[in-house]
Amino acid sequence: MLLEATNVSKAFGSFLAVSGADLSVDEHEIVGLIGPNGAGKSTFFNCLAGDTLPTTGRIVFDGKDVTRASPEAHARAGIGRTFQVPATFEDMTVLENVMVGAFLRHPHRNDARDHARRIVELTGLRPDQPGRSLGTPGRKRLGIARVLATEPRLLLLDEALAGLTPTELQEAIALVRRVHEAGVTIVIVEHIMEVIMTLTKRVLVFNQGHVIASGTPEAVVKDDAVIEAYLGRAHRRHEATR
Amino acid sequence: MPDCGGRQGRRGRAQQPMVVVQVIVGGLLLGAIYALFSSGLTLIWGMMNFINFAHGEFVMLGMYVALLTVVWLTGGPAIFAVAAAVALAALGVAIYFSLIRHVIRGPMLAQILSTFGLALLLRYAAFFVFSANFRSLPPNALSGTINLAGVYLPVAQLVAGVAAIALTLALHLLLTNTTVGSKLLAVAEDRTAAMLMGIRPDRMQALAWGLSAGAAGIAGALMATAYPWSPTVGETFGLIAFVVVALGGFGSVLGSLYAGLIIGLIQAVSAYWLGAIYKDIVVYGLFVALLWFRPQGLMGKA
Amino acid sequence: MKSIHSPHLRLLVLAAALLAFPLVFSSPFYRDIGVTFLLAAISASAWNIVGGYAGQVSVGHSMFFGLGAYTPLLFYTLFGWSPLAGIPVGIVLSVALAVVIGTPTFRLTGHYFSMATIAVAELIRIFVGTWDLVGAAIGLQGPAVARGWWDLTFRSELPYYYIFLAVLAVVLLTTATIERRRFGFYLRAIKASERAARSLGVPVRRTKLQALALSAAFTSVAGSLYACKTGFIDPDSGFGILVSVQMVIVAALGGAGLLFGPLLGAAILIPLQTATNTWFGGGGSGLTYILYGGIIVLIARFEPGGLFELWHRVRAMRRRPARAA
Repeated sequence: MLLEATNVSKAFGSFLAVSGADLSVDEHEIVGLIGPNGAGKSTFFNCLAGDTLPTTGRIVFDGKDVTRASPEAHARAGIGRTFQVPATFEDMTVLENVMVGAFLRHPHRNDARDHARRIVELTGLRPDQPGRSLGTPGRKRLGIARVLATEPRLLLLDEALAGLTPTELQEAIALVRRVHEAGVTIVIVEHIMEVIMTLTKRVLVFNQGHVIASGTPEAVVKDDAVIEAYLGRAHRRHEATR
Repeated sequence: MPDCGGRQGRRGRAQQPMVVVQVIVGGLLLGAIYALFSSGLTLIWGMMNFINFAHGEFVMLGMYVALLTVVWLTGGPAIFAVAAAVALAALGVAIYFSLIRHVIRGPMLAQILSTFGLALLLRYAAFFVFSANFRSLPPNALSGTINLAGVYLPVAQLVAGVAAIALTLALHLLLTNTTVGSKLLAVAEDRTAAMLMGIRPDRMQALAWGLSAGAAGIAGALMATAYPWSPTVGETFGLIAFVVVALGGFGSVLGSLYAGLIIGLIQAVSAYWLGAIYKDIVVYGLFVALLWFRPQGLMGKA
Repeated sequence: MKSIHSPHLRLLVLAAALLAFPLVFSSPFYRDIGVTFLLAAISASAWNIVGGYAGQVSVGHSMFFGLGAYTPLLFYTLFGWSPLAGIPVGIVLSVALAVVIGTPTFRLTGHYFSMATIAVAELIRIFVGTWDLVGAAIGLQGPAVARGWWDLTFRSELPYYYIFLAVLAVVLLTTATIERRRFGFYLRAIKASERAARSLGVPVRRTKLQALALSAAFTSVAGSLYACKTGFIDPDSGFGILVSVQMVIVAALGGAGLLFGPLLGAAILIPLQTATNTWFGGGGSGLTYILYGGIIVLIARFEPGGLFELWHRVRAMRRRPARAA
């Protein structure tokens, strides 16, 4: 068990964003987190990533308790994450962006640069391109490259594939697959069903702060509770077509 | 009207030399004015996560607008107070549209430099136009002293302080009890959500700047009735506003009210006990202590 | 592709020009401008480390400058020691102050840090003005006549010029080294996006503190040099807000976050300042500072990257018509 989150809740004042969520991830899995907007999956995700402090619950990574660990400590422990809105380091080149990540495991500049270069090649970006000149797909890819440079064992992808054209989407899916094949465990928050169906073997569905279903993607989309969550009660009678 | 008798009693002092009472009351009255202009600063902070380094200069300009109104239009306190409020409110809105709106989306350096440079510009422009001499308003309806239960107070100080408290409370009520106020708070809370509800964040932020500068302006005008000033006061007021906002809590107008009164009191008592030179040291020292121990202040979010 | 010798050549030319300047322009007037220029460049380059590279905008850096300025003269006044003795003490005090200020404020947003720097600088200025031990409002003086080279009291500007130049070289060399290494990358990442930097394992708070401490140390040295040169310090010339303002504007004008930005800013601002002072008479005339304020606002509004950035943009625009879109 690489990651074990038990009974995680997060309350903002009186509003309970996440309530009693559990997640276990084995090494080399790809797990998806889906659910309608405001369902709590992003908050739960941020708890896993160390950006938000859970109100209750425990998160254990590779035997270490990271419930209250800072984002920096998460990265050092081997948990990496991307951001929904990529926070590219605008004034730096692609290579320099990735080097920031590389420095975590390679404190010396030349090692960091070589390692970063390899990652940049892997993701198909151009190393000398200024960060600010990248479009959204490039920035998302850069976000992945940057965090890969920190050599994470667990990668948390936060809607990393939203806003892409069909071609870009296929490329991005292929990239995520390559990353997975390189040995990284992945937890992915996503809206795009194609991504969930093709990449993940297991899916957790959130609604109103709770996990309402869990299983293979195929099983989950047929689940009544899931359909109701997304489409409302009236549509429960119709089955989702794939 | 602040209950002077009650406050003394609560602190358990039985016998009061009148001087001490005078000092305390004077401090509270000045503190009320601090509260008024600081509420403008805290409003901007709460809405936009932005500190206006030129806020003290807005107060200073309010004082000069009051002076000019009296000299050119021979108005009374009501007139020049309104003139200061209106003039500064207009300036605030103009600054928002020409400068702030642009830098708020950019790097931190630009944000800090923008109002910092503005402060310099306004301060030294005032030096240039008005010279460094200290000014006072010519005699007006608020001149003279009044005797309240043995305490001698300049009428101007009393009226200014009371008016300041009233205006600060009015601002607080505006924010919490009116439609406009809730729109302002909505933008402060979540810009995108406010946009989706049909509120225009740009307009609300401009309004906030107008209110903030207007509050500073009228505070300046009120202060001008009772205390002499020169272009340098802006720097001190700006720092006092920081301390008040830090103590009262960023974003909380009510917090500014409490904090302003407290700071005014502390300042007056320090001047009395330790000497006039130390009054600012104590206030800034309080700020440093706040930094370390309670940056979110009495009532706000950090 | 440019020849690889080009940037080195330019550097060489710059160094040669700086070295030769006081020999070519040998009147006291020009040498004094040169010394003032170097001092401004040193202070601004020191500020640049934390304000330009890391993006933590301190507008109260005079607190470090003043500490560095007072300690040498204090040791001379109290014990008759050479001002040199005070320089390391100034550095230690400044670094300690940096840690005291940075630790609580770096937890909060950038605006809070800036606010704190002004308030602390003012606090120290007023306090020093009331403390008799350090001369209160009158200030302190240095050796009127040199007892030896170690008093750093020279009649000619020339030794000051070369000492300052050496210190500037040290500051720039340090900055250049930082730029190439992990620390420099981390600084720039923090400036660009603290959140992203954290997620990549950057120890944000620690890095910011280190940057502030380093910057404080160099600024303190600048203050010490100033005190040795002028032989006099008082609360305003040490801790005044205009001292802080000058550091910021010099760096920002040339290009904050760039190695030679402060140098460029100083090269423009110091002659300009000398000119306006001569035209308008005296530093307190206000007109110079109206100009300063106006320049700062313009930089903030139109070109936060400073003149270097402006130059790059103009060059890029000129190139564009020649290439296919």
